[in-house]
This record gives sequence, C-alpha cells and structure tokens, in this order.
Amino acid sequence: MTNCPECDASVENRGMVLGEVFPCPDCGTELEVLANAPFAVQPAPKEAEDWGE
Amino acid sequence: MSDGIRLGLFYTIIRPEEKAILAAAEARGIPVVRLDDGVVTFGLDAPPDLPNVVLNRSVSHTRSVYAVRCFAHYGVPTVNSPSVVELAGDKILCSLRLAERRVPTPRTVVALSPEAAMRAIEQVGYPAVLKPAVGSWGRLMAKVDNAEDALQILEHKSALSSPIHSVFYVQEYIPKPDRDLRVLVVGDTVVAGMYRRSAEWRTNAARGGSVEAAPLSNELVDLSLRAAEAVGGGVLAVDLMESPDGLVVHEVNPTPEFKALTAATGVDIAGRIVEYTVGVARR
Repeated sequence: MTNCPECDASVENRGMVLGEVFPCPDCGTELEVLANAPFAVQPAPKEAEDWGE
Repeated sequence: MSDGIRLGLFYTIIRPEEKAILAAAEARGIPVVRLDDGVVTFGLDAPPDLPNVVLNRSVSHTRSVYAVRCFAHYGVPTVNSPSVVELAGDKILCSLRLAERRVPTPRTVVALSPEAAMRAIEQVGYPAVLKPAVGSWGRLMAKVDNAEDALQILEHKSALSSPIHSVFYVQEYIPKPDRDLRVLVVGDTVVAGMYRRSAEWRTNAARGGSVEAAPLSNELVDLSLRAAEAVGGGVLAVDLMESPDGLVVHEVNPTPEFKALTAATGVDIAGRIVEYTVGVARR
C-alpha cells in the first residue's frame, strides 16, 4: 500500500509489475510503479508529441 | 525455448501490451532484460551483458530511432529493424514507400510551409485530412471541410513551436463505412485482424472506438503482407480503410498496440511477437 502523489489516496498493489502504468482509483492520475517492495509509485511520464504506435 | 537467448525489452512505460510480452516470455522460459528508455545510456562501445535481441516497445518515435541504431551498432538485432522503425514511424516516408511499391494508399500531398499546405489541401480537395508526420493515437489530426477551416487549422499549427508542425501531411478523406481495419503482421504471417468502429471519423481504438474480429479475406491478407513487406517487414500493424474503390492502406505502425486486437480475436499476439523476436536472435 502507498499513497497517490497527487491526491494522497491509498493505492494498493494488485499484482502490478515494475514500470506498469495505472490510474489512481481516486483522482484518475496516471501512476507508474516505481518499486514493488516496498510498493512505490510516481506520476507516469507525460505523453509527448512523438508518442504513438 | 530460450537456448540461452536473452530478450531485451526497450520500453517507455509498461502498458497491458508490455505486461503481456513479459508474461509470454516468462511462460516460454525466456529471460527478459528490461531497458527503460528514460534510463538507458548508449556509449560508442558495446556495453557488457547485452541481450541477444531487443524488442522495441518505446512509444517515442525519436527515442526508438536512435536506440535501435545504437543496438545495431553494438551488433544486437532489433524488432523492428532500424530502417523499419525510421520508415514506418514517419507517415511521410511510409506513404512514399507504399506508393513506390504500388500498395493502394490514400492520395497524399506533403507541404513544408503553411502557404504550401494551403495549396496542398486545395490539391487534395475538400474534405481533406491533416495529420502529424509522427505520433499517433489520432492526436492532432484534423478533418478540413472548407477553406475557412483550413486557414484556421494552419494558423493554429503555425503557432506551435515544434518544427515538426511546419511539415504538413495532407491526405484525401476516404468516405468509408463507420469502421476501418487493423491487421497485425508478424514476419510473413497475418496473425489477426479486426474492425474498429466509431461514430467519429477517427477510428483509433485509443480514442474509444469499439472493435470486433474481422474475417481475413485473401484480399486483406495479401494487401497487409504487401504493405508490411514494403516497409521492410517485422512486427507491424497495418491500418486499412474500405474506400469505394477497394481497400487502401493508410498507416503501417512499427510499435503496435494489440490489447484490443487480442481481446477481439483471442489470438496470443504477445506470444507470437516473443517467438518471432527470439527467431530473429537465432538468425
């Protein structure tokens, strides 16, 4: 368990892997898994102009 | 299946696609070296402990172009190859190649200034579609219905600072059904295909359109393989539209997303990509 860096809501690790991006269940901010033990998250990288498929 | 092969996964973020790739590699006993594109550095000499092959899943075209060149410099093959990444990742270069190989594609005009872009739009005719040369997910695309729209959109683009916005890729608007087609090609095989539906003219799954499996007709398979081969082959998503004159290829994507395609078709796309990538390491 950790906290969202944007809204401070509790965020649970539900089988997520290092680097995985997921939305904060409370505020919807995209978060990236920084570490698994202990669980830590940071805001996901912002989408850049050259991002795509 | 590993045979001592270590697969490098070059990525920006771990999305469902990358997670599926990691799981597919683990299921096949293939060790994965994770290479975060925001962390890795590249010297002129090959570092120790390089993987045997690198699967490029970076979402950044710029980072992809330089990274796969660096891996090639170290003697590490990549999926996709540097030339495919450069070509398919740039809509202008991709359109040129499709035309050279006579793959049906929408009429396209490129312009290098706002003034020339206005002429390009007039040459294509209304409605026209204005797309950025790199990047996707339907962002910064505009349907231009008349001269007034064109002037306003070009003015907005001119105000953006990045030089890429002073390159204009103008394409004819294809009057298609409320759907387009996405076909995934892995090597010389069509792995899966789907329809993407949207009430909006942009049908990108990333924009929330719905999807369903598409029957793989001979025409669809043949055209998709020709498009993939035209840009150099590898793991490629070919996007097609049903024009009144038949299928046309409007994009070939070198770092395809496949979550929606997996859900629509049930095909183990991540597994196919991993197996193909390991096969490239063995060549």
